[in-house]
Order: sequence, then structure tokens, then C-alpha cells
Amino acid sequence: MIQRERLPQRVILRSDRHPLTLDWSVRQLVGQVGEISGSGDSAVLTLAFNLVRDAQRSSEPVAWISRTESTFYPPDAAEAGVDLDALIIIRAKGPESAIRSADRLLRSGGFGLVVVDLGPRANLSLPVLARLAGLTRRHRSALVFLTEKPRAAASLGPLVSVVARARRRWVAGDRFSCWIDVIKDKHGSPMRTKGAEYLGPPGVHQYP
Amino acid sequence: MRSTLDLLACINIPSFTLQVVLAQNPGWRGEPVAAVAEDGPQARIAHVNDRALALGIMPGMRYATAVALVPRLRAGILSVQENAAVISAATRVLRAHSPEVEPSSEEPGVFWVNVAGLDGVYGSRGRWAEAVRAGLGGLGLRSAIVVGFSRFGTYAAASSCRSIRIFESPQEEKEVALRTPLRALHLPDEPAALLSKLGVADVAALLRLPREGLLRRFGHEVHRLHQFAAGDLWVPLRPTFEREVPCVALVLDSPENRSDALLFLIKRALPDLLSRLASRGEALAALGVHLKVEGEGGSRRASVRPVAPTLDDVQLLDLIRLRLERTVLAGGVAEIELEAHGTAWAPDAPRLFPEHPGRDLASGRRALARLRASLGEDAVVRARVKQGHLPEARFVWEAVEQIVPPRPVEDTLPTLIRRIWKHPVPLAHGAQEVRAAGAGRIPERPGGAAGRLVGPYVVSGGWWMKEVHREYYFAETPRGELLWIYFDRRRQRWFAHGRVE
Repeated sequence: MIQRERLPQRVILRSDRHPLTLDWSVRQLVGQVGEISGSGDSAVLTLAFNLVRDAQRSSEPVAWISRTESTFYPPDAAEAGVDLDALIIIRAKGPESAIRSADRLLRSGGFGLVVVDLGPRANLSLPVLARLAGLTRRHRSALVFLTEKPRAAASLGPLVSVVARARRRWVAGDRFSCWIDVIKDKHGSPMRTKGAEYLGPPGVHQYP
Repeated sequence: MRSTLDLLACINIPSFTLQVVLAQNPGWRGEPVAAVAEDGPQARIAHVNDRALALGIMPGMRYATAVALVPRLRAGILSVQENAAVISAATRVLRAHSPEVEPSSEEPGVFWVNVAGLDGVYGSRGRWAEAVRAGLGGLGLRSAIVVGFSRFGTYAAASSCRSIRIFESPQEEKEVALRTPLRALHLPDEPAALLSKLGVADVAALLRLPREGLLRRFGHEVHRLHQFAAGDLWVPLRPTFEREVPCVALVLDSPENRSDALLFLIKRALPDLLSRLASRGEALAALGVHLKVEGEGGSRRASVRPVAPTLDDVQLLDLIRLRLERTVLAGGVAEIELEAHGTAWAPDAPRLFPEHPGRDLASGRRALARLRASLGEDAVVRARVKQGHLPEARFVWEAVEQIVPPRPVEDTLPTLIRRIWKHPVPLAHGAQEVRAAGAGRIPERPGGAAGRLVGPYVVSGGWWMKEVHREYYFAETPRGELLWIYFDRRRQRWFAHGRVE
């Protein structure tokens, strides 16, 4: 028989400082290439899935291009309200394969949001970035790269219209705060920060 | 001439469309599901599962009304080719258990099968029926099987039976058939309601009605059912036979390993294969490309599948080119064999939901087919969450070909997402820096060093096979990472399974 410990019941503790939803939607990225990066206290996956869920709420088909060595944990995505049946996942064989796959998906015009999980070894040439940016404009899609790099590192390239960092802080028990710091936004006001409260994954117990 | 005492069986796959929709969407189990008759918001619901029924969705309701009642309703429709593909698959299963199989031309999911002599092979008719039921269960289909002596007798019993029934005599079969309620025999709603009001509830009562007035008063279906029940529509079993798969073999004078040269040869042979399919009303669902390479035993076998059955050779050549580019050939190809697997084809197959304005879903599906051809069959997937205790057992990847409209769940709590590594990374004992896809320093043991460590969340069991005992923790490192780690009691070692992002 499989046994496991009973988990304490998850409780939401509302905070007046942050709302429970992050006001950063995929509509702000339509027709653009974006990059969300993080390191250490990263909240990249969580905030990327905010965008996925937002796109799905608008009935937009979404494709996620994942890495070979790791991927998002599907039960957490389901818990966050993402429709996994509708989320197409491309298991690319490396960064180059991931970028070619993104090109193909955007070129079809069939997807409103394409997320590419690049990780730490991210490198895009200017012609490739220009082509991808053109495809997002032509098909009114959003392309978001997820990268792993220190805060001071440069973005993937000058044609990335929106550059943001996603970070997380453990508040107490199973409560966390997540922020998106928009460092660059060609079509909006940069240097803005938005935050929200999130629940930790199952197993993050409350402190006594 | 066939004797009426010959044994035959009727196999009924109840709510056929609904069962196929559920088999195609295993993630929908536990959800309210309906099968609709056609594309469009005013489509009638043909079948519902128990969950939908409990929520008030009834067959016959319009889809728009049902969704207004239950927004989470999952609905599916079978295209002509999907319907034909499942019936073909079920027929192949049945052919493994009988030489003569006749799929019903009027009711999908109903088959008649010649059982004569097979109880000697299987030991008994009951064992034969169980083997057939298990075979269809392998396709994800639940069936009722009745072995008897007449088409109508076995059909009527299979419509109201839930598993297996074996009739020992024609008399027994007749008695059961006469007692079959009319509501089990799929009459249209209006005449069925009228007959019910008149107290005509079963086959026996129907047969007592004079046939002359039935056609005028109750319609063609009731009249035909009366004829069928009375034995006036007896025809011999009309088995279908497996259609030959069009194939062509190209033998090369001198072996070739350049993909463009191979593609040129395939391009010349493709139109003939496609026209052979078209002549029998089919389109290509999958093309087997088998290469005999010099110096290698056997053939390299690959399959190319377009996103939808097609007769477009340009699209197919593009997919074949992508597949050949992935293939590494040490020697030259001496022979190419092509097998064209077709399926019934309706050029204007309906779609269930209107496409998102501006989103070309057909083009999106073609892009997925190209990615499958270039990256491999298991590269285009969706995630399905399932029951399990170990984290890696809580989800599977399923191949996906269709782009379905998303239905995100509302009213969920914002939750952090974890990254899971494909293989748990062993961590060095002691408080040492670890390079494991970005992992940082962790405490030597629980409660040690810097950073929070919460847990354990224990997963244990499997003592009957290979015992598993993992104590999961979340460990905050000085770099701010929140690692998802566990201590494996059996191996006495720490592993990192992922991290929170």
C-alpha cells in the first residue's frame, strides 16, 4: 500500500499589498517578441503560464516548446487552471531545433502564443530574430522566450520588444510573492513592476 | 444456403460515438461529455455519459442549450473518416476471432459475426465472447456480445444487454427478443413517444400491431423494425474483407543514399498510389516508407502521416523530405517500398467549433505534421495528468494531432509552477556546491545550513515490487533558488528533482 503524510490544508492569506492576480496579459505582447528571464529566485515558469492561461481565456491556441532535459510540471499547470488538452507541446532537441519549431508554428498562423523555453544556453542571431519578429507581426501572434541569465545580462537581441525579469520571494508558509519587472517595452512604458501573491506547490507546509 | 440454426453473434458497442470520443480524449474521463451529431451550436446531442446525465444534459438537447446549462461540458463529433477508421479497427479485431464479420451499414458500432465451429477452437462460446470483448477493450471500447441464431434475436438482446449472453436454443432467443423494450432499439423520439403512450412497450406488443398501418402512422423506422422483428428482412451474413493496401516497390539499379535522389524516385511513384486510393473513395491516412539499405539486414521502416487524409502529393512529398533528412544512411538504399494506407474520405469534413477568427487551424495542424516528420512521432504531444504517487508518474505525454479550442479553468488559485528534470540529479553528500541544471548549495542535512528547508512530504510504497521511499523537501539556497529535492531512503542518497520557478 502506498502511504503518504497528510498535508495541512492549503489556506489563502490575502494581502492588501498585492492583488491575487497579475495584471500582465498576452494582449500586451501581440505582434511582438518578448523575453522573460530569471535566475536564482526565478518565477519565469509561473509568469509564463500566466500568459498561457490568459491566451487560452481568449480562445487562442498556444504552443509550448520545451527543453530536452527539463520541462514544466504538468500537474502544477493544471492546478493553475491551464487547459492541458489544448496546450500543444513540442519537445525540441536543442535550442536550434526549438527556434526552427517556433518559426514553423508562427509561420502557420495557427497559434496566438508560442512560448519557447530556451534555458541558459540561449543565442539568437539577428536575421533569425528579425524573421521571427516579422512573423509575429504578420499573424498577430506573440512569441515569448524564457531564458535563464543574471539580471545584468543582455537580452536576446535588439528586436526583442519586451524584456522582463520574473522573480519570486517566499513570504511565509505556502505564500509567495511574484513580480514581473518590465525592463524594456518598445510600445509601452518600461521600468514598471507588477506583483501578485501566489500559493506554493503542494508540500510547502505552513510554519507553526 | 445458410441454415437459420447456424450460430452467429451480434456485437453492440453502445453509444458508439461517445465511446470513441472518450477513447480519443482519455483526459475527459470524469468530466461531463456529450457526443453531438453534427457541427454547430444547434447540433443535437446524440449521447451523453453518466456525469453529463447527472447534470441534466439529455440526448436530443441542442448543444448550445447544454453548454449554457453546464459550461464545462466536453463535446466531441466524429468525422466521416474518424468513424470509418474506428469501425475498421474494430472490424480488424473481430476478424482475429472469426473469418466472417459484417459491420452494420445502418448503425455504427453494431457487427454480426459468424461463430459456427469456433466453440471448438476457444473451448466454449462464452470463452470466444470473452476473447472478443477483451480485444475490443484493447481499443478502449466497451461492448455487449450475444451469441444466438438470428440477426434480430441477437441484435435485440445485444441492445439491452451489458456484457455477454449466450442463447442455448432458438426458442430461448425468441422469448428474450420479444421481451426487449422498444426504448433499447433506437427508434426516433417522436414515434417512440407515441408508441409508449399507446402502451406498446416491447417487441411483442409491436408485433401484435397490424403492419399495414405502421408506415403511415409511425413512419419508416417503426415499419422496418416490425419487418426485422418478424423475420421478413432475413439476409445471409455479408462479410467484408480486408482491403489490399496499395503498395509499390522501387528496385534501384545502383544504391543511392542522397535524400534528394530518393525523393525524386518516390515522387514518380506517388501519384499512382494515390490514384489507386482515390478510385475506391479513399484518401491517404499514412504512407509507409521502407528502405532496404546495403549492408543492413531487414528494412528501415518509417511512417509519414499528414494531419488529415489527403490526396495532395505536394504535401506528402514535403513530409517525406523532412523524414528523409532526419535519416542517417551509412550505405546506399537498394530498394524503396511504399505502402499507402487509406481511409474513407469526405473532402468537406465538418469541424466542431468555429475557428478563432484569424487563426488558420488547418495550417497549424499542417505545421504540427511537419514537426512530427522532422523531429519524430513523439515530439508533438500534450500533457495528461493522471493518478500516481511519484511525481514522474503523475503525468504522461500523449501524441496529439488536433488543435482543440482551449477551456481554461476559472476560479483557480494562482499557483507557482515547478520545473521537473527528466532524470533526478544525485546530489553530493555534505554541504557542497552542486551543478545540476543550476542547482546551488543545499544544507548537509535537514535543519542544517543556510536557507529554509521544509518537509518532509513522504512517498513510499511498492513493497510488492521495488520499494520506494522518498522524503521530499523544498530547499531554499543562498542563490534564492527553491529546489525540489528528496532523500531516497533505500539508496541513502539525496536527489534534486526540480525547482520552483
